[in-house]
Amino acid sequence: MIRRHRLWGTTIAVALVALLINVPWLNALFVSLRSDADISTGPITISGVTGSHYANALGAAGYDFPRFFLNSLLIALGTVALVLFIAVPSIYATVRLGFGGRWIMSTASGLRLLPAIFFAVPYFLLMANLGLLDTVPALVVANTFLNLPLAVILLGAGFRDVPVEVEEAAQVDGASPYRILVAVVMPMLAPTLVAVAVLVFIFSWNDYLFALVLASSRATPITLGAANFVTSTGIRWGDISAATVLSTLPPALFAVFAQRYLVNGLSAGAVKG
Amino acid sequence: MIPTTSTSGTQRRRAGWVLGSPLLLFALLFVAYPVYQGIQTGFFGLTLQDPTVPFVGLANYAKLFASSGFLDASRFTLGFAAVVTVLETVLGLGLALLVNRAFPGKKLLFTLLLLPIMIAPALLGVMFRLLLNGDIGLVPGLLHGLGLDISLFAPDRVVPLLVLLDVLQWTPFTFLVIYAGMQSFPTEVLEAAAIDGAGRWRTLVSIVVPLLMPVISAAVFLRLIDAIRTFDVIYVLTAGGPGTMTTTLSIYVYKAAFESGNFGLAAAASTIVMVVLLPFVPLLVRRVARTAEDQA
Repeated sequence: MIRRHRLWGTTIAVALVALLINVPWLNALFVSLRSDADISTGPITISGVTGSHYANALGAAGYDFPRFFLNSLLIALGTVALVLFIAVPSIYATVRLGFGGRWIMSTASGLRLLPAIFFAVPYFLLMANLGLLDTVPALVVANTFLNLPLAVILLGAGFRDVPVEVEEAAQVDGASPYRILVAVVMPMLAPTLVAVAVLVFIFSWNDYLFALVLASSRATPITLGAANFVTSTGIRWGDISAATVLSTLPPALFAVFAQRYLVNGLSAGAVKG
Repeated sequence: MIPTTSTSGTQRRRAGWVLGSPLLLFALLFVAYPVYQGIQTGFFGLTLQDPTVPFVGLANYAKLFASSGFLDASRFTLGFAAVVTVLETVLGLGLALLVNRAFPGKKLLFTLLLLPIMIAPALLGVMFRLLLNGDIGLVPGLLHGLGLDISLFAPDRVVPLLVLLDVLQWTPFTFLVIYAGMQSFPTEVLEAAAIDGAGRWRTLVSIVVPLLMPVISAAVFLRLIDAIRTFDVIYVLTAGGPGTMTTTLSIYVYKAAFESGNFGLAAAASTIVMVVLLPFVPLLVRRVARTAEDQA
């Protein structure tokens, strides 16, 4: 009996910590479900639950949030596609076909250390010269740059795990290196590819710094849109809460499903402050 | 080794270059060129107002070290990063020791503990504003209920407030790194630290902490380099103010470039930050190489 009590004691203690660190999100959820009158009366006043703030955030009030969501989605999906397109063949070539060498992996992990802000000015100048300021492609490129190190590190480990004998067998059967990569290696590597895709999606969805530097209106993603909204109007609390809660859902859902990949991904390093 | 005839060897080498070319191209255009341009811009007087780009040599660097803005931002950034790293590592270790045993609901609670990491820092900044807003926020409301009417963003409170928020946001990260590392240690030893009674604290200090040192130092290292780059939450909450009190190096560079329009000065400042961080690169490379081998 005493042991059982201690176990539940741990549950309660951990639950309290989990509650505490999720207070900002829970508070936003709570604000988003209350009427404007309740919100302005007091921080815990509630006379009923309303979905009107969610309707407003999704277009009813004429805000730009639907476009911000669309931009975030395009940027995140575009980044996932470009990262995989660049990293999968290149890292396979590095690990198996003698392209480049160890320095590719070293440079990738070294880039993890450099502050993203260093690249703000050069990327702004570069995109201005290319005529790409305030476009989704500019943000796709910037986020690809931010996430490539992570993809290189995870894929490097993944490709090394594939048994060489499988590839040898395919080669003896006369398959070209391209065919071996697409038909033999990539299916075996599916879990790693999914992990990389999920992490890159989360981190590019969450980017703020490069959005602030490169986007001004048309290409604004939800992180920038929400932050601008709260500084410019600062009174539509219910609507801003609804938009914020909605925009945390895609990464949070992915995180729940891809939890076991988080550890490696995060310590390999793609968390941006 | 894959047995190769000389023709297939040539074919494989060619395939290596074909498959490697996207990375090569991207690295040249969007990594090497921006690095070059970033360093080069620091030697020019490039501003939004004056696009004629005169070469100014080291003038931008001289200006940085003569003005208090850059030095203040460096001091604040390093102090802030050191304090939050220590707090988050200690709390993350405590939480990892608490969670590292079987208890009801562990799986669900573990997921809930990791959720803050997945929220965009900028959106977390927005949520903090909601929570702390003087008119509608929960925290000022509760404080008011206790008879405390204080401005949370007053100059003497804003730094501790930002430290507290950072701890709420990133303790899950240090917890995750330490907890993940713990899984490769013998459970008996770690469980001993959790047993009630005499010597518990001693066990912790003299056995558990030394045993976990590699994992703890990894958490410290990763958290420290991220804390030095802090931008999103502080920018959304205070924009570096009041005055320049909470201006981190990242906020300093951003403002120099995109508010004052002085690209040369901003590029020089970020070059200094990069050079300061460069000696740590081999450390990280070794760590990542080790992680990759562990997975293999």
